Amino acid sequence: MNIQLQVLGESLRAVAEEMGAVLIRSAFSANIKERRDCSTALFDDRGRMIAQAEHIPVHLGAMPDAVAAVVANDPEPGEVWILNDPFAGGTHLPDVTMVSRTELGFAVSRAHHADVGAVEPGSMPAMSRTLDEEGVVIPPTHLTAEALDELVAQMRNPDERRGDFRAQLAAHHLAEQRVEELCARRGRELVASAMDELYSYSERVVRAAIARIPDGRYEAGDVLEAIDGELTIRASVTVGGDELEIDFTGTSPQHDGNLNCPLAVARSASYFVVRCLTDPDLPASGGAFAPVHVTAPAGSLVHARRPAAVAAGNVETSSRIVDVLFAAFGHALDVPAQGQGTVNNVTLGNERFTYYETIGGGQGACPDGDGPSGVHVAMSNTLSTPVEALELQYPVRVERYQLRLGSGGGGEHRGGDGVVRELRALESMRVSLLTERRRHAPRGARGGAAAAPGRNLLNGTEVPAKVTLDLDGGDVVTIETPGGGGYGA
Amino acid sequence: MPAFLGVDVGGTFTDAVLVADGELRTAKVPTARRQEESVVAAARAVAAERIDRFTHGTTVATNALLERKGARTALVTTAGFEHVLHLRRQTRAHLYRLCAAHSEPLVPLERCVGVHERMTSDGVLEPLQLSTLPELDAEAVAVCLLHSYRHAEHERAVVEELRRRMPEAHVVASHEVAPEFREYERASTTAADAYLGPTTARYLRALAGSAAGAGLPEPLVMRSSGGVASIEAAASHPALVLVSGPAGGVVGAARIAAEAGFSDAIAFDMGGTSTDVCLITGGVAERTSERHVAGLPIRLPTVDVHTVGAGGGSIARVDAGGALRVGPESAGAEPGPACYGRGGTVPTVTDANLLLGRLPERLAGGVELDHAAAKRALGSMDPAAVVDVVNAEMLRALRVVSVERGHDPRDFALVAFGGAGPLHACALAEELGIRTVLVPEAAGVLSALGLVASDERRDRVESRLVPLGEAGQLPHEGEADLRYRGQSFELTISLGADLAERFHRAHEERYGYADRAREVELVAVRTADVRPGPRFELPPAPPLRVQGPSVLEQSGSTVWIPPGWVGVRDGSSTLVVTRT
Repeated sequence: MNIQLQVLGESLRAVAEEMGAVLIRSAFSANIKERRDCSTALFDDRGRMIAQAEHIPVHLGAMPDAVAAVVANDPEPGEVWILNDPFAGGTHLPDVTMVSRTELGFAVSRAHHADVGAVEPGSMPAMSRTLDEEGVVIPPTHLTAEALDELVAQMRNPDERRGDFRAQLAAHHLAEQRVEELCARRGRELVASAMDELYSYSERVVRAAIARIPDGRYEAGDVLEAIDGELTIRASVTVGGDELEIDFTGTSPQHDGNLNCPLAVARSASYFVVRCLTDPDLPASGGAFAPVHVTAPAGSLVHARRPAAVAAGNVETSSRIVDVLFAAFGHALDVPAQGQGTVNNVTLGNERFTYYETIGGGQGACPDGDGPSGVHVAMSNTLSTPVEALELQYPVRVERYQLRLGSGGGGEHRGGDGVVRELRALESMRVSLLTERRRHAPRGARGGAAAAPGRNLLNGTEVPAKVTLDLDGGDVVTIETPGGGGYGA
Repeated sequence: MPAFLGVDVGGTFTDAVLVADGELRTAKVPTARRQEESVVAAARAVAAERIDRFTHGTTVATNALLERKGARTALVTTAGFEHVLHLRRQTRAHLYRLCAAHSEPLVPLERCVGVHERMTSDGVLEPLQLSTLPELDAEAVAVCLLHSYRHAEHERAVVEELRRRMPEAHVVASHEVAPEFREYERASTTAADAYLGPTTARYLRALAGSAAGAGLPEPLVMRSSGGVASIEAAASHPALVLVSGPAGGVVGAARIAAEAGFSDAIAFDMGGTSTDVCLITGGVAERTSERHVAGLPIRLPTVDVHTVGAGGGSIARVDAGGALRVGPESAGAEPGPACYGRGGTVPTVTDANLLLGRLPERLAGGVELDHAAAKRALGSMDPAAVVDVVNAEMLRALRVVSVERGHDPRDFALVAFGGAGPLHACALAEELGIRTVLVPEAAGVLSALGLVASDERRDRVESRLVPLGEAGQLPHEGEADLRYRGQSFELTISLGADLAERFHRAHEERYGYADRAREVELVAVRTADVRPGPRFELPPAPPLRVQGPSVLEQSGSTVWIPPGWVGVRDGSSTLVVTRT
């Protein structure tokens, strides 16, 4: 490979990473600053993702649609565009994406905002039925000062929202400056070639890895625990040479709840599994996914159409897609047992504050080792909020935060344990719980035992997997997260 | 004339620098398994006599942490939060390697226990019930109760009780060592401090004995903050000495830069397996309040050294996608680069430098370099490409500490040291627009020189978490951790007039915006008692002027002066390399 291009490629990758660092460090809400629920990326002139600093995998494959949606509006250099519409480049409403034109290509940032003006504080409602109930829908919009004022006015804690948006803008400002410097120093042509090379490098590596998977068609299915019954996710994986086709035919139609997701989310989940099974150390670039083709029937749960509610699709349905795809690849390769399969979304709030967290659990055991305990297992990898930071900022007290010992499945390699997190409301507030794997335990692999499913409790009494409750001061919500399955008998 | 001795123990070599009678003597001896023996041997090698001040950098604590050879440690927390070290911050170790393991916590689950009590940020919620504190089987105990950074009463009572019950054990309270909020990071720091206590204390006692036996004064020990402390102080909180060695190098670099008239510089220490870079502004090394050591967060004042896993011994290879990669695997000291002729067959950065004509036929230490072996190892690999790739990595590190923190590197001098630093420095300076590279005469032992020059220093941190407007009178000297209310990362600003305005400006510099309407919160106040180190002159080396391209050998390092650069030494010990 041309060394000049390789070295220049490192500089481009560094810009994406620096954008992420700036966004995290200058943000205001716990969600971005403590939990790092955000990603940043550079795209080339053709709208291909060149380098991404992904802090959580769910943003992996979902950005190209956002860029395409903005490009369709013909943005001018220097303009920043904003969107969150899941059916026009977004994923779910709290993930707000900004796209700006740089000297060469585009800069993109995506951050999960703590509130986007839904019916419930925190904008992760457990019971939403249409997109409108989940918050402000932002179609691709040129972000002017007035547009920003108008937007934050429709959200809770407009001051905090403004701070977070400015942090995103700071990342874009930086990208613009850095790409311009690179072009001035190295020449546009050379930077463009370096972008091409970054893209094709990842493509080469992943194609070589796919070619090593035995050709064939592999199928699997699993369920999601909707409020009024089970929903099915089915997928077939067809391996042919150095290409992969993933098809979700057989998956339930979109439903009346919020487990729906746009195809972009199904793609992210598919890319995640491919990444784990091919080259886990490869830096993120769109080329890695060029050989992977993802399709799903329009109007299905994983390729939903307006006005479907999608709050849980990004976090929960995506986790289940991962389980299904690992199971399908399991017919051809040695794969890990199932992990907790949920991110255990907890949202608390009233008119004074909103607080959102996700909780780790057990990772399924792998062919070569035990599953870690108390971690995020699939599409998320956000940090926990420190107990002391949470209590300093919100009217909530943490009564308990422990490993849920023994909840992982046994086997030659043990599944990881889940955790117990107990939160006491110190004043009246609403809580939304959006959780999975409460009815169906994570399964073991190759004879390993299943893990314990999760449980949600209010003052010691079990409540459903998906529920919104009014809390009085003193009420205690307990979340017991699932363990991971064991591997091997 | 007073005499000052600095001895720095590294993984392979122990370095000594003696400054006495207008003379600078240096020595390198192999590091023995018992570090105190190498210290005395190194002192003997520079013929140290009638020493007035003896300063020491050690890796004993760092090694004990890396090799997990610390004390049998227990952890006491608020009941319900016993697993804090095992829960970490709930992230997995690798995004796509699902079962990748984190560093194992220093305290196993069975020795993590809870005591009934509860503080909030406002004070006592539930009184302490000492009767619920179980009996512990441990040589060291860390105590970390919720909100003790502000309300330490319960923690103090638990520590007293433990010291009464277990007089032999080393007991550490989190508010004594790292009184800052965020319980995981505080607990991790406290656990490391307890875990390392007995081992470090044993070593320092043995060292004091050996030193006395050799007629040396009791040594002062380098801490991560870049200042030295008494043996007793160092032994009581060993987590504070984890970055001892790199801290010495940075102090040495600051001293060299100051002498050459630069108060702003970047220390660039490129060794065999890794490279440390650190920004120096106003003559002082940048500090940070948290650093990961051996995979564990340590929340203590540390020189802000940024480390990358690439150095002279790093191995070059072509990966599956056809890209050339250098490091993090290293040929180490044994067998070392192929050209050392000690059985190494894989290509390293040093081999590439030799083929490019940037190394002499024979190194200062007497090693004959084997050109043919280097050529065999590289095969069809282009040596210039190997150097380009490793330089890209170095460049990234230098940008992280400068550009990414709002500093323009063109205003800085680059201080190059370590075995390979002076070989690569000019090319990096060229890329960054830096005009001056400084190569100290003692480039191979600069950490030991830094020890000689270092101040005595004791850091204090006070957790405040109040609006800046309500903070009252602040000390005149020291630093404040500030943030906009609602943020959770702080910027550290030196205390003094216009504090709020300087924070806004720093925020703007670093993040591209400031919000003067928003409340500024004071998170912590950091102060230090500093007793300045000795004043001494470095003896001048013979005058010299070398026009690039040229290879210049100095004691312990080789300088590559590329075309368009000129190296001048005139009346000092430092070679000043500038662009012509």
